Amino acid sequence: MANVYLPYLMTVAAVRDETPDVRTLRLEFQDESIREGFRFRAGQFGLYSVFGQGECVFCIASPDTRPGAIECSFSYRWGGKVTSALSRLTVGDTMGFRGPYGNWFPLDAMRGKNLVFIGGGIGMAPIRSIFETALDQRAEFGDILLLNGARSVSDLVYKAETEAWIARDDITCVKTVDPGGETPEWDGKVGLIPKVLEELAPSATNALALVCGPPIMIKFALESLAKLGFGKEQIYTTLENRMKCGSGQCGRGNIGGCYVCKDGPVFSAAELEQLPPEF
Amino acid sequence: MAKALRTEALLDFLRAVQQDARRLVAPVEEDGLRLFRAVDRVEEITLAEGNTRWSFKEVLFPRSEALFHYRLSGGSVALQEPDQPEGETVVFGARPCDAAGLAVLDAVFAPNGRPDPDQAPEHEDPFYRRRRAQTTIIGLACLEPGPACFCTAVGLSPTGTAGSDLLLTPLPDQGVFLAEAVTEKGERLLAAHAHLFTDTDDTKEQATRAAEGRIQRTALSGVGGPLATLFEAPPWEELAARCLGCGACAFVCPTCHCFDIVDEGNAAGGSRCKFWDSCGFALFTAHTSGHNPRATQPARFRQRVLHKFRYLPERFGVQGCVGCGRCIATCPVNMDIQEVVAKVTG
Repeated sequence: MANVYLPYLMTVAAVRDETPDVRTLRLEFQDESIREGFRFRAGQFGLYSVFGQGECVFCIASPDTRPGAIECSFSYRWGGKVTSALSRLTVGDTMGFRGPYGNWFPLDAMRGKNLVFIGGGIGMAPIRSIFETALDQRAEFGDILLLNGARSVSDLVYKAETEAWIARDDITCVKTVDPGGETPEWDGKVGLIPKVLEELAPSATNALALVCGPPIMIKFALESLAKLGFGKEQIYTTLENRMKCGSGQCGRGNIGGCYVCKDGPVFSAAELEQLPPEF
Repeated sequence: MAKALRTEALLDFLRAVQQDARRLVAPVEEDGLRLFRAVDRVEEITLAEGNTRWSFKEVLFPRSEALFHYRLSGGSVALQEPDQPEGETVVFGARPCDAAGLAVLDAVFAPNGRPDPDQAPEHEDPFYRRRRAQTTIIGLACLEPGPACFCTAVGLSPTGTAGSDLLLTPLPDQGVFLAEAVTEKGERLLAAHAHLFTDTDDTKEQATRAAEGRIQRTALSGVGGPLATLFEAPPWEELAARCLGCGACAFVCPTCHCFDIVDEGNAAGGSRCKFWDSCGFALFTAHTSGHNPRATQPARFRQRVLHKFRYLPERFGVQGCVGCGRCIATCPVNMDIQEVVAKVTG
């Protein structure tokens, strides 16, 4: 019987600093058959580990359309034991990954629709996965708008990719930073995500919105989307909890009777409303 | 027809069982506590009434176990599967409450049923599943439930068969144990030692009535009503005001199954291990950022109560409390889950 706790061995193929305390690792499966066979869906998460330090949970930040390797982006601002150890890895190092776990963004429901992607800070990681998944099948979707926001210019993640997305003429990409977070050279918007979103005023007709970020941003972004006419079934977000097993056994992942690891991490705003206030 | 085992033949039976299995686990006296231990000689086994300090849960779900070992040298990592678990094990002396608690562990760790340990789908605990398949439970009915016992309040009985493969009910007046095979494993056990068992017309009805009559606590149903109301309406602050967050209730509970995963080792290697944990601990759900979804002790106690009486029934159709009373007897500040649930539902 398979030992579900045994991680895949991964080689760190690339390390990229997104901000002073957010880093992206590109991870390649060491076992050739797993490298070829591993599949996931955008929105799912995994447990990343440094042997001797432990495991921690993040989403997979790369699109599910490009198998062979995965990427994760994580913040090590708070000096967590495992995230600190992950931040010390360099190219060529071996680490562990197990997954994928949880549900995923409703890609099939998204087909034929206009899509609004909103990412705040490190919340851009799950958004990037589903956004690039959609870009890789661009013809399947209507208008695409991405709003990438951060507290300050230095805290904006995926800077180079964002410039490339802005340069594309088949999508709209807007970057914004909170007031006071701009620099003299900043050529993006200045304003909180909900405010910029209302200015951009994407139509709710035949549209879905996917929004990830810190809880306070989600709260106000949901209000703005409601003003723009988005129904609760048209909005998706992700939740996170401390997790150990990733599969509903260790007892941490639940919000009331709902398990973020099994029923989530992707929830519609309608589902979110049904949860007790415990997240 | 029911079978009977003469009281004085019990040790012969257990000795024979021990010879067939690799391991016999049963209650013994150790340092003044009654604990489940692997026994060498069946004479060590105690038949004293009442509950052991801990249930036999750790036979299937050890307090700590290695999920795998890792060796580090230079930049390379080698992983190694842990040794296979203990092999064929018979647990003797499981009280009906503890045996009934297996339904919870089964639902969480082996949700796809028991039959074939080699066909487990993903996301089952392979260690639990393997042990479960290799373990036979001989239950021992209670004639004298203790003062904290409330199994009848949660729909169970001191002579209930749930979870046991074979249940023995002492009938002292007749000088026998009434033996009921509950599962195929139990049937096999009876068949393998058929010479020790005789047919009997005795029933456990009277014993059941007498034992159930000793339990004075009121009946509890599942915790119903809208969850939003349950979250805010009961005075959780008041109900949990005394709670120290020590986690003792979880450690003695036959159904508590929360765990932590931690790497234990040094620069050369070590093991990734699973350890018992408790939702009562302040750090249990704390995020690295400092955010904690269950930030206060009342929020954590609410999780404990609702997990057992609401979420488990809702999600798995099993009741999370078997009324063994250990958490009540063990709590250093006299918290009483039966009183709490009676208040919440009342």
